Amino acid sequence: MSLVARFKCPACSVEAPVALTSELLKQAAEKGAVRALARCPRGHAAVLTVDQYGNIRSALPVYEQAEPDCEITDKAPVSVRPRLAAILEKGAITDADALLLEKAKAAGWVICL
Amino acid sequence: MKTFVDNWGLFLLARELAEMAGGLRGLKLFMQHEQYKLAAAVRAALECGADCRRPPNEVIALLFDVARRKELLKEGCRVVNVPEPKKPPSRFAAEYFQMIDDIVLDKICEYVAKSPSDVISEEEASAYYQALMSAPFYVAFRRAIYSKLAKLYRYSTILDVGAGTQDPLDILSVCEMRGAKCELTALEVDRKFCTDLEKLASKHGFSVACGWEQLGRYDIAVVQNVLHWAADPLQVLTAARKHAQRMFLSQGVIEGASIAFVMTKILGAVRSLSWKEVEALAKQAGWRPVRRYAKYPDYLALFK
Repeated sequence: MSLVARFKCPACSVEAPVALTSELLKQAAEKGAVRALARCPRGHAAVLTVDQYGNIRSALPVYEQAEPDCEITDKAPVSVRPRLAAILEKGAITDADALLLEKAKAAGWVICL
Repeated sequence: MKTFVDNWGLFLLARELAEMAGGLRGLKLFMQHEQYKLAAAVRAALECGADCRRPPNEVIALLFDVARRKELLKEGCRVVNVPEPKKPPSRFAAEYFQMIDDIVLDKICEYVAKSPSDVISEEEASAYYQALMSAPFYVAFRRAIYSKLAKLYRYSTILDVGAGTQDPLDILSVCEMRGAKCELTALEVDRKFCTDLEKLASKHGFSVACGWEQLGRYDIAVVQNVLHWAADPLQVLTAARKHAQRMFLSQGVIEGASIAFVMTKILGAVRSLSWKEVEALAKQAGWRPVRRYAKYPDYLALFK
């Protein structure tokens, strides 16, 4: 048996359903709360904290695909550098960020090993 | 008073615009920085050998035109002295002004001698475009006009004409914030943008059309800052007329234009239009104005 709960995506704020399995609910009942990974319909990953009653206590963003082997080159304009640095450090949170990184690579603003 | 009457719709966005700029003082500071950057760019172009009576190319001609309209460039190529504002712009606006520096001011001497495509490569222009479109200040502006003026959440089917890569996400965000289910189709005739859009579409739940022939009928067409990029703006508006019952038209125009106009010209915009030209084109395409929110610096109107 599973329970369907809803969470608000921390990246894009969309309300999304998540199925809480009986195994997960059992673990939550034993430990008081458990963590689970879920995705919103837009593909953003979030870490959910589920309490013993099946309520979602928090939804935190997961920074995916950080680019540790990439660096910003001297060609990168000053205005875009802070955003590129954040993307390289934490990964692209939004699709706009992912697209910016892709274009920045093509422009030679970012190089990756 | 005339400015208020001409642009009353912008006052509906006063709260959002003030928030973006850091309050009313921030808004005033924003305008001071814009004037300062524009005067600095004109002075730099003149120092690099540009003649204000015979500008060497379209970019510099536009720069001088914008400055003359702001009364910063006077007879005899004299530039009005605009002191540098003592305070820095707000956090939101800082990125915008840095972008002006990167794209316009830092390369102004090169634009005097060369065409923009010889200064900024196609790949760089594309990256700059993505950075500009997704910059928080521009996203906030588009969302404000879609929510407060166009009220797009009231329409079931929306056609986003010349969508680019960011606009569909902003429209969907406005619909979501208002709890509305909007069925969105993003139209792009540029193959490169279309490929990028297709990547986003499945994830965000909207449709993509890479040409007018793939379209159906829509409650409203959104034409947001498209006409200055289009080869034939009349054709865009006429085609939109065939596919939509209403149209929300948002277009930056030459009256009251800032240095940002020069920036888009450098990135590939093909023309600058006056608000009267924009409205005349819409009427020529068969649209009837229902409500005009602003004439300049952004022409904002709903058509039927």
